[in-house]
Amino acid sequence: MDASDATLLERLLEHRNARWIVGGASVATLLIVWQIAGATETIRSDLISYPTEIAASALAMIESGELATHSVVSLKEFAQGFAPAIAIGILLGLGFALSKPLRYLIEPLFVAMYTAPLIAFVPLLVVWFGVGTQSKAIVTFLAAVVPITINTTTGVREVQEPWIRALRAFGASRWQIIGKAILPGAFPVIMAGLRLGVGRAIVGVIAAEMYVSVYGVGRLIQTYSTSGRAAEIFVLVGLVSSFGFVCIGLLRSIETWLAPWKARA
Amino acid sequence: MTDATAALEPTVRSSAPTGDRALQWALGALGFALLIGVWEFSARQGWLNPIIASSPSRIWVAFLRQAASGDLAKDLATSMVEFGIGFGLAIVIGVTVGIAMGLSRTLEYAIDPFVWFLYSSPLIAFYPLLIVWLGFGFATVVAVAFLLSFVSIVVNAMAGVHAVEANLVRAVLAFGGKRRDVVLKVILPASVPHILAGGRIGLGRALHGVVLGEMFGSNDGLGYSISRYAAQLKTADVFVPLLTLIVLGIVINQLSGVLEARLLSWRKA
Repeated sequence: MDASDATLLERLLEHRNARWIVGGASVATLLIVWQIAGATETIRSDLISYPTEIAASALAMIESGELATHSVVSLKEFAQGFAPAIAIGILLGLGFALSKPLRYLIEPLFVAMYTAPLIAFVPLLVVWFGVGTQSKAIVTFLAAVVPITINTTTGVREVQEPWIRALRAFGASRWQIIGKAILPGAFPVIMAGLRLGVGRAIVGVIAAEMYVSVYGVGRLIQTYSTSGRAAEIFVLVGLVSSFGFVCIGLLRSIETWLAPWKARA
Repeated sequence: MTDATAALEPTVRSSAPTGDRALQWALGALGFALLIGVWEFSARQGWLNPIIASSPSRIWVAFLRQAASGDLAKDLATSMVEFGIGFGLAIVIGVTVGIAMGLSRTLEYAIDPFVWFLYSSPLIAFYPLLIVWLGFGFATVVAVAFLLSFVSIVVNAMAGVHAVEANLVRAVLAFGGKRRDVVLKVILPASVPHILAGGRIGLGRALHGVVLGEMFGSNDGLGYSISRYAAQLKTADVFVPLLTLIVLGIVINQLSGVLEARLLSWRKA
């Protein structure tokens, strides 16, 4: 194999685990540099903290129960908003796909709302629904319902015509067509909408809690921010990212489980 | 081809428009008109609390007032400049880093974990850190906008390089081209669709970043005005910067669509 053959795009993996080895080494290097810079106060540790301090803070926050109390509040807000967003998003999306007038009437409003940054609505929602959990549940709902609706519409409209015609030819009812062809066919696109909704909703809840709230992970972030506690902020940011990973992972497993024919390799 | 992007960021996919444009426009306008009409009517009937819910006519009055006083223009200008610089930096640095990651696997593997972290974290939580480093206001807002849009641009630029056809690269090398020729004549042009797709996602995220940054780390711009008016319970005034942002989002999105069509027109030939 001459040199030019091994260039750029067609290099094979020299090692199966190259990604993990190189990635791990790079993360480890950063952690070590961070630890040294922070622990020796080369860079102010109240700003960047350092790994061992972050680990200690995490343990302290778990032991005091603080982490659990606030996480539960945020989780509840998230669930209260996300569950109805799935139900209403899918129903609305179905409605949009099946009725053209309905889609033309309402979809522009949805798109207009979607193009603006969600966070811009938060102050208004707080005025309308108060500083408590309700306004955050509504932020979650709004963050998630639009992508779910739009993707359901698209997914349903892209379902293969022949499937529907075949079902109809064999005498299937309207509901059978929806259940056997339309929903399964649109499923992957709907799931993509759900994944997008999760990401937006998490950021929405945290930012809304940071803006104003009594409890919640975002509230904690804000408290520690104003008191210059970098270690705790890193713990909380890590917690939120992990929650995002878990949600996305869960959605992917559901997708593979319910629609194995569409699963990614 | 879009798989690499989809893996990181599932997109909202609107279905292709069908022929009946006129009906679409008419019903769309009717939808907006109905919303405005019902809202105004309910406010006049006293069904809605005018302080809390406001009403279209009150918003119009607030709009005229903010436009006349120059507040709106000043907010809009501040936000636009922050947006332009933040997004501009994200494009330049993001495309460079993304292409470098696409060309060197070592670099890709080394940077990948951090890109994921940037993507999945609620970055706004770090705003106090940014304020200490960059000062309260302008630079912090630019940084938040940059950080939010940077990732989608990097990942898509990288995916663009990965999607380049190996045969094109081989052809350039076979005819004696240098590595530089490969990058400039094959890889960059071939990555344009991916870069544009990333840029489009980045636009929305940069605008989001501007508003977030202004709400938490500045006292200027549309985002700050929204939170200030809300704190004063001036609901009608809140709607003015909010609606401006919505219009801004739509305009930016439309412009990027036009630009994308222009830049990609050669591919159809």
